[in-house]
Amino acid sequence: MTHLFSRRSLMRGALGGATVCVGVPMLDLFLDGNGQALADGKPLPLRFGTYFWGLGLTDTPQGGTRWVPTKIGSGYEVTPELSSFADLRHKVSVFSGFRVIGDGKPNIVHWSGHAGILAGGAPASDRVMEGPSFDTKIADALGVTSRFKQLDMSASGGSTTYSTRNGSTYSTAESTPIALYTRLFGEGFQDPNDPNWAPNQEIMLRKSALSAVMEQRQALLAQVGAADRAKLDQYFTSLREVENQLAMQLERPDPCEACVIPEKPEETRPAMTVDQITASSRTMARLLAMGLACNQTRVFNFVHTPGASTAYIAGETKTYHSITHDEVPDARLGYQRKCSELASLIMESFGQFLHEMDAIKEGDRTLLDNSLIMAFSDTGFAKIHALENIPVLFAGSACGRHKAGQHIAGRGEPISRLALTAQQLAGAPVGEFGFGAMRTARPISEVMALGERG
Amino acid sequence: MLALAALVACATASPGPTASTAGAPLPLEKAATQAAPQPSGFITAYRRLTESQYRNAIADTFGAGVRINARFEPERREEGLQAVGAARLSITTSGLEQYYAVARSVADQVVDGRDRDAAIGCKPEGLDQAARDCVERFIARRGLQLFRRPLSADETARFLSAWQASARGYGDFHKALKLTLVDMLMSPDFLFRVERAEADPQRPSDLRLDGYTKAARLSYMLWNAGPDEALLEAARTGAIHSPARLASEVDRLLASPRFEDGVRAFFTDMLEFEAFENLSKDAATYPKFSQAVADSAREETLRFLVHHLVKAAGDYRDVFTSRDTFIDRTLAYVYDVPYLSSQRWAPYTFPEASERSGLLTQATFLSLFAHPGRSSPTIRGVRLNEIFLCVQIPQPPPDVDFSKVQAVESGTVRTRLLEHMTNPGCTSCHQISDPVGLSLERFDGIGQHRLMENAAPIDVSVQMGASSFSGAQGLGRYLHDSSLVPSCLVRKVHAYGVGRTFDPADADYLKRQGEAFAAGGYRLPALMRGVLTDPQFYRVVTPQGLAPNLQVASLPSGGNPILGAAR
Repeated sequence: MTHLFSRRSLMRGALGGATVCVGVPMLDLFLDGNGQALADGKPLPLRFGTYFWGLGLTDTPQGGTRWVPTKIGSGYEVTPELSSFADLRHKVSVFSGFRVIGDGKPNIVHWSGHAGILAGGAPASDRVMEGPSFDTKIADALGVTSRFKQLDMSASGGSTTYSTRNGSTYSTAESTPIALYTRLFGEGFQDPNDPNWAPNQEIMLRKSALSAVMEQRQALLAQVGAADRAKLDQYFTSLREVENQLAMQLERPDPCEACVIPEKPEETRPAMTVDQITASSRTMARLLAMGLACNQTRVFNFVHTPGASTAYIAGETKTYHSITHDEVPDARLGYQRKCSELASLIMESFGQFLHEMDAIKEGDRTLLDNSLIMAFSDTGFAKIHALENIPVLFAGSACGRHKAGQHIAGRGEPISRLALTAQQLAGAPVGEFGFGAMRTARPISEVMALGERG
Repeated sequence: MLALAALVACATASPGPTASTAGAPLPLEKAATQAAPQPSGFITAYRRLTESQYRNAIADTFGAGVRINARFEPERREEGLQAVGAARLSITTSGLEQYYAVARSVADQVVDGRDRDAAIGCKPEGLDQAARDCVERFIARRGLQLFRRPLSADETARFLSAWQASARGYGDFHKALKLTLVDMLMSPDFLFRVERAEADPQRPSDLRLDGYTKAARLSYMLWNAGPDEALLEAARTGAIHSPARLASEVDRLLASPRFEDGVRAFFTDMLEFEAFENLSKDAATYPKFSQAVADSAREETLRFLVHHLVKAAGDYRDVFTSRDTFIDRTLAYVYDVPYLSSQRWAPYTFPEASERSGLLTQATFLSLFAHPGRSSPTIRGVRLNEIFLCVQIPQPPPDVDFSKVQAVESGTVRTRLLEHMTNPGCTSCHQISDPVGLSLERFDGIGQHRLMENAAPIDVSVQMGASSFSGAQGLGRYLHDSSLVPSCLVRKVHAYGVGRTFDPADADYLKRQGEAFAAGGYRLPALMRGVLTDPQFYRVVTPQGLAPNLQVASLPSGGNPILGAAR
């Protein structure tokens, strides 16, 4: 067992240089000046998150695009479906034209796209990924410096996210604002700015009691086949995480100047209609931003709407998903008018989230500046479940590592290059990512402040 | 009386404990401390407990009064069953956090409860040797119930030593015991059903499942709960390996009222009722729908199945044709029929003109497999094939143009689906899925009867291969006479019990079970009895990648045909 009070300092010693913002010496934005660190000299932590929405954005052969900017490189123009963050677009990079390559496997609709992005290659079967989703590698790299190693949430009522360590068991998402609030600020939350903080002996005893369970690990692993060994490994990893959460509660939390405990949201049923989802994503975005500011987690996965979204407009008989397939493109406009409206609504939710993140100050930067959020969908043109031109956005400058505000045109390049880029920007020690036709060692160097890398 | 409540479930003659017997050995404790053998052999499967199995385990061990308020990790469905998917699942951090919160809450309720002395089994003063002995007995007795096997000496010692450390820290017997109980509830041996194989002493070259694994297979299939005291005893003595004793245990479990729980759990899984948790209907289209309707619908179908298949020992095929059911006031409102009973639930027989025909015309199937604002013949057809016929229909091609199909503003869905039926890329699958779905079109997305859609009469006549029929009742008769319906149930019962996907090595055995099912008049209890008493049900499937020393050590010399290749 690791000693109770040294875990965080150990992690800092071992990983600090690789994972925290100012620990990386070659950053060109944050090298000098004030506000690059907290008042006591501790580094600002980098946050990473995915933001997923189903059913893509609008870009049709006849009607042209509603989201892809014309201009390549920095200073891209505002497009209709991305207008919700027009004022922040210098902090957001847009990636168009990247694709998931099927490698001869069937296009498993509303699965191949995001499973391919997250695991680095097209999946062979529904609801199974060929390996861990890459967010877990970033969570491992960032280490144990916040209460939760990662948090998962869904604004659309379902409890599944797409985050997995073994390709078959998925994290459980908080599916309502009140559930997310309780997880972040309910039992076990310690106010980082509480001057009267003292370690709780009860937690120390609880933590050491759990070691009796952990001790069985080797004996059990020796008795099982490969598949069960992987399952047990995941179980014991989870147990270690629970222990770590207790260990973190035994240490005086770092003060967080921006941390303000938010108001408790109302109890609501899981959201199903478009209006409810819009409302719950707004509240959950605010809670998440404050959870990040209060250092409760450094990695998150936010599902706005799942792949084949069953969201529907109250009073209408069709779901958003069926509208993408059924709606006839408007003869004059050349695109599906209602689909574009619904996609814009989702991007509005994303824009709200970015504004929440950008409103929180850390030093003379904002929480958004200290973060990297990779937002992506499962399809390009949803009507035909296209795996080409899947929209991807990188928001936040990742503490200066991300040269944000650019539009990169992929022209059919594998989308795994973006996942690799995200991992490297977030500090994961990954030189290569993906498998089969999607295997790549080439990040998008244009958006990396560490220009020589890759 | 927590302990008493826990033991009432065990159908043995042993008297339950009372407050005055606290401290004396309890029946389970005796079994737990006698000759607890080290687990031998190797592990063949870890099957995560389902939410209902977890709840049952706590209720059986500590009494039904212990409340569990938690959100469990999502289950996984494979080959149509969560029981199969559970063998693939592990536990994520967020899931384990929930289990930890539940474990702490259960421990608080048990150790702080009014009946704690009975629940603990002894009442020591101080933290002396007597206290230590008390904890040791508690670990052995509760461990046997929770882990579904006796604890090894090492395991007991580990929990005991953790208790001692906590007791030193707290200076309090009960607070420390809570942490010990939390440890037990967090153990993988509790959270997963662990299946083990061992060398068969009767046939030294063969492997068999160990007795505790067999006991758990029986009790989970028939009661959806861990083995009771008598089953554990049969496992301990090895009696369960004798075919006669195995059969008598199966009969005992089938005769118990708890068999209904098992049947409910099986159909809750097979019919995918977990989807009711997130079922939503558009309030403007279906103003009658509410969570109360969803809850009542679920209960209707389970009552109907338990009554027909267990209490009346009826023919399984009749669940597709029967107009008898159970309704409450909520459902009467949806079905638009009078409710005359003063009871919460009442039997009801739909009139012939209602067009109702068994399971598929109940609000469960009709609402689960539909869109939030309309019915869906394709979804209903696909799901009916998968659930009741074990026919998998492939995903549609990704680039279909649905524009013509789904102009919902006019005509009936039939006219729109004709596009699927005539488009060569769609027809092979839609010919299977759509006809059965179209025959149910006189029931809307929550199960209300209707004759018109968009002011056009709904035609429910369909052609399925060589046969043609009309409406839900025609579909019911078609399914009643289909040979796929019973063979699919046999396959699902087997898969539900063994927790693995279909294996061709089981084909002959399943065929044999299917013939027996038919010969016996398609009775579910007899089917389950047949499956559970057949040695093939306990066939050992050796996992890939087992450590070589285990493969050798677990077997007597001479080797084993299954393992031979691995060596």
